[in-house]
Amino acid sequence: MALPIYATTGQKVWHYTYLTICGLVLFFLVAPLIIVIPLSFTSSPFLSFTPEMLSLDPAGFSLEWYKNMVGNCSDRVTTVCSTKWMIGFKNSIIIGIFATLLATTLGTIAALGLSRKHTPGRKALMALLISPMIVPLIITAASLALFSVTIFGVRFDLSASHLGLVLAHTILGLPFVVITVTATLVGFDESLTRASANMGAGPARTFFKVQMPLILPGVISGALFAFITSFDEIVVVIFLGGADQLTLPRQMWAGIRQEISPTILAAATILVIISIVLLTTVELLRRRSERMRGVSPA
Amino acid sequence: MTDATLGSSPSAPLVTADGTPLKKSLQRSLRVEKARAFGLVAGPALFLIILFIWPLITLFAKSVDDRLVNDVLPRTMAIYEEWDGETLPEERFFAAMYADLTSAERLQIGKVSTRMNYAKSGWKSLVKKSNKKFKTFDTAGPFMEQMIEADKRWGDVTFWQSLGVMKDRRTAGYYWNALDRTYDSSKNVIMQPENRRVYVMFWQRTLWVSMLVTVSCLILAYPVAYLLATLPLRYSNLLMIAVLMPFWTSLLVRIVAWMIMLQQHGVLNDSLVALGILCDDCRLPLMYNFNGTIIVMTQVLLPFMILPLYSVMRGIPPTYMKAAQNLGATPTRAFIRIYMPQTIPGIGAGVILVFIVAIGYYITPELVGGKDGQMIGNQIAYHLKTSLNWGLASAMGVMLLTAILVLYYVYDKIVGIDNMRLG
Amino acid sequence: MNVTKLLLTAVSAAALSATAAIAADLTVVSWGGAYTASQQKAYGEPWEAASGKSIHWENYNGGLGEVKTQVESGNVTWDIVDLLPDQIRTGCDEGLFVELPDDIFIPAASGASMDDDLMVPRPNKCAAPQIWWSYQAFYQDGTFSGDQPTTIADFFDVAKFPGKRGVHTWANAIIEMALVADGVAIADVYDVMGTEAGVDRAFAKLDTIKDDVVFWSSGAKPLELVSSGEVALSLAYNGRVGGANLNDGAKFVSIWDGQVLEEEWLGVVTGSPNIDAALDFISYATSPKAQADQARWINYGPMRTSALDIIAAGEPWFNTGVGVLEHMPNREEVVARTIVANPDWWADNGDEIQERYKAWMGQ
Repeated sequence: MALPIYATTGQKVWHYTYLTICGLVLFFLVAPLIIVIPLSFTSSPFLSFTPEMLSLDPAGFSLEWYKNMVGNCSDRVTTVCSTKWMIGFKNSIIIGIFATLLATTLGTIAALGLSRKHTPGRKALMALLISPMIVPLIITAASLALFSVTIFGVRFDLSASHLGLVLAHTILGLPFVVITVTATLVGFDESLTRASANMGAGPARTFFKVQMPLILPGVISGALFAFITSFDEIVVVIFLGGADQLTLPRQMWAGIRQEISPTILAAATILVIISIVLLTTVELLRRRSERMRGVSPA
Repeated sequence: MTDATLGSSPSAPLVTADGTPLKKSLQRSLRVEKARAFGLVAGPALFLIILFIWPLITLFAKSVDDRLVNDVLPRTMAIYEEWDGETLPEERFFAAMYADLTSAERLQIGKVSTRMNYAKSGWKSLVKKSNKKFKTFDTAGPFMEQMIEADKRWGDVTFWQSLGVMKDRRTAGYYWNALDRTYDSSKNVIMQPENRRVYVMFWQRTLWVSMLVTVSCLILAYPVAYLLATLPLRYSNLLMIAVLMPFWTSLLVRIVAWMIMLQQHGVLNDSLVALGILCDDCRLPLMYNFNGTIIVMTQVLLPFMILPLYSVMRGIPPTYMKAAQNLGATPTRAFIRIYMPQTIPGIGAGVILVFIVAIGYYITPELVGGKDGQMIGNQIAYHLKTSLNWGLASAMGVMLLTAILVLYYVYDKIVGIDNMRLG
Repeated sequence: MNVTKLLLTAVSAAALSATAAIAADLTVVSWGGAYTASQQKAYGEPWEAASGKSIHWENYNGGLGEVKTQVESGNVTWDIVDLLPDQIRTGCDEGLFVELPDDIFIPAASGASMDDDLMVPRPNKCAAPQIWWSYQAFYQDGTFSGDQPTTIADFFDVAKFPGKRGVHTWANAIIEMALVADGVAIADVYDVMGTEAGVDRAFAKLDTIKDDVVFWSSGAKPLELVSSGEVALSLAYNGRVGGANLNDGAKFVSIWDGQVLEEEWLGVVTGSPNIDAALDFISYATSPKAQADQARWINYGPMRTSALDIIAAGEPWFNTGVGVLEHMPNREEVVARTIVANPDWWADNGDEIQERYKAWMGQ
């Protein structure tokens, strides 16, 4: 969108104003993330830029809050010190991995079925599979928290268990996998499967040896979406999780509401870094997928 | 090869190698194909139906469930119909009530008295006080005098009348409560007393906040989407990272960051005061209130507006604008008359998407909303976790869900569910 | 390839059930921050050392919601809960807490039984004594030049002392404070509250600060709100304010006038899987020595009079080497202007006022 040579002064002014506005909006989008990182290195227990920090005095910076996160506590008596951050991190990773595996498996299978030529009720099925994305999280959390079945006198519910949380996060991650894999399958060349069948491979072998490698970038993309959904998820954890289901977002939530300390910012920085890594991976995979299918960026 | 040659009688049906007619064989293979495709989707679909749709249905069931009073006070409710409803009930009603309250489990008594308190304020304390006094009663009866002596509310007809509202095993009472209405003793719908009316205000505020956020997102997203759509792909991909980054970052991280930036002595206010633009006492109140909710929600939902706009704008050929300018239109006129109308599908998609997501928000208003930035999601959470009025929480949840389904239907008409893309 | 897959699934299934759960012998739920820290130091650590068991400390912001849900579902993970006085009454009535056997309580050095050693009698058999504490108003030194706020009426006076007010999200204490600020004599507060007109009067007084209120629900939040300048004055638990002053050198100034003195009790949840460990912990935590020890870390008053004697004999008692009796909420000098809360009243009549307060909060 370059400015043509014959642009008038008025147009030039408007053009630069417009670029400034865009710049401000983009800054608005990323400003929070930029603020969090330097503040996590503050040496004072309050959440603002101290004069030492602004003058880049080394005394204003410290790794105290990162040390708090791994249980190496500072001597401040008023903060309850614990290894909760590490426990939360571990729980988030474990629940995230299992939920991702389950969501990716189910989502890929569903996407394969939906992408076929003659799927009955495709629209309805697609709506069903996407529905967890539409329903507000608070309603999903409420319905799952209140849900229980009693079979032969034994009460089954999803609350206060790791399995329950994994299933809940699977539900939330499933739509993402379905959407990304269906998108990947849109440009898929059916003749490849037919050629493979022609040469004697059964449907399972065709899937693993022919289809899977080609849609793998899409599948991994969806898996990463599902993982980040589970890793950052807070609403369902609040209502469904018990004392044992301490995930990283839950610990952050407790921190924000109870004992605000820059330890939260340290955790936040780590989350931001994880997000950047995952986002870059997804972006690279997307480009790779496009290259492999012969769709070059125009 | 005599039957299937071209040009021979067209009435002779084609057959496959094993002798079945071709049409039948094709139909059969189509059925097999459909079954296979369906079979693939069936597993995940069943998973969602059992673990997602079914709980939503039980949520709806909870919102109309009113079996508790019948279950905990069976004797009283069994003979309730026989009471005329006007004068004080006779001895046998008191006897039945005494029998029910003394034989029920302590936990159940707590629950039922809470439920009865929703219908008429005062039941909870009445039941609690009475239970303590019941221990000293003469168990042979008569109970009417003893109970009225223990607490004079037992002699108040309105309390007995209020039981009539809780007689049915199903009730629409919670839905009425969610709209600041309640039943009086003859099951008419009346407004709650004025100092108890909050929910209509919350619904209004939720809609208002969502509309404001949607409009702010639209105004901010349009220029950025235009820039991204018209830049060469190399640069736009780079800038797209700035758009997707907040999308991928945890919501709590973004909220904490905004809290630090906008609070009274936060980064923004401190900088403005240090630069002399603001006096120390006139700091901007941008956090823990309505403004905080709007600002944070706008930033969180901006990518949801940018992406649909971007994808539509990318598909608009630049030739239209050039043609319009060629025909004499100023760039502004060309933009407004030619370009903008073509972006309307994107605007529609983005607006509805942001609105749908915004009305269901809970975390953001909870942390930054303060007193006047709270939304209906916060009320649902409060009744779910703290007041334990699950009937009311479910009713509000069902109402919210219905509104969203209607909006989603509209979204589908404009965009189509199949066309959802993720970046 | 197939065997590996099978092994992987088996291992994952095993891992799922034995994930990073918090393995502990006892879960004690309290209010977090400086308060829980004091309980950990005074009760938790010595008991863990003596019994060899471990405690998992959990935070909550009050309310019986979670306890009710757990008891009802049969899946009880909270063993001991630190409770507000009206909640131990309601909870015990509803069967949420177990009745404690008398023999677990350690008598005082003088031989007096625990019940005779308490400053106020236990409300029921479910309650184990904890502390005296108060809701009080406070501000940061230097916020106001000239006149400083000294009475509870000053908290409600935004004209004379401009700035926002930090208020908690439930009705206890603030109704009493509003009435006293409006001129009701302390002895008459609960009589006035029992009338419709009295409640209206309290809410009218609350309306005078309505536009300047910032709400908090966790104990540490008021300190943050005041120190960051977000609010000028806030209500808080007195021990948090005192703890910040005594331990961290903060410059908060407490307004003792119109403070609302409350009891605090411990309860053992019905259906707890660790009932023996819970009773053993209660036994230690309610001993005079442990009660006195808590005052080393936070300025809440112990419920047992013999504990007060231990503190008086050992002054300066606080862990930083200063005296602590002069910061206790239930001392002589402040008792004249202290509103002693009536938890029975709240347990019986609280529901309606809480609902009205919730509505007031939203409006």
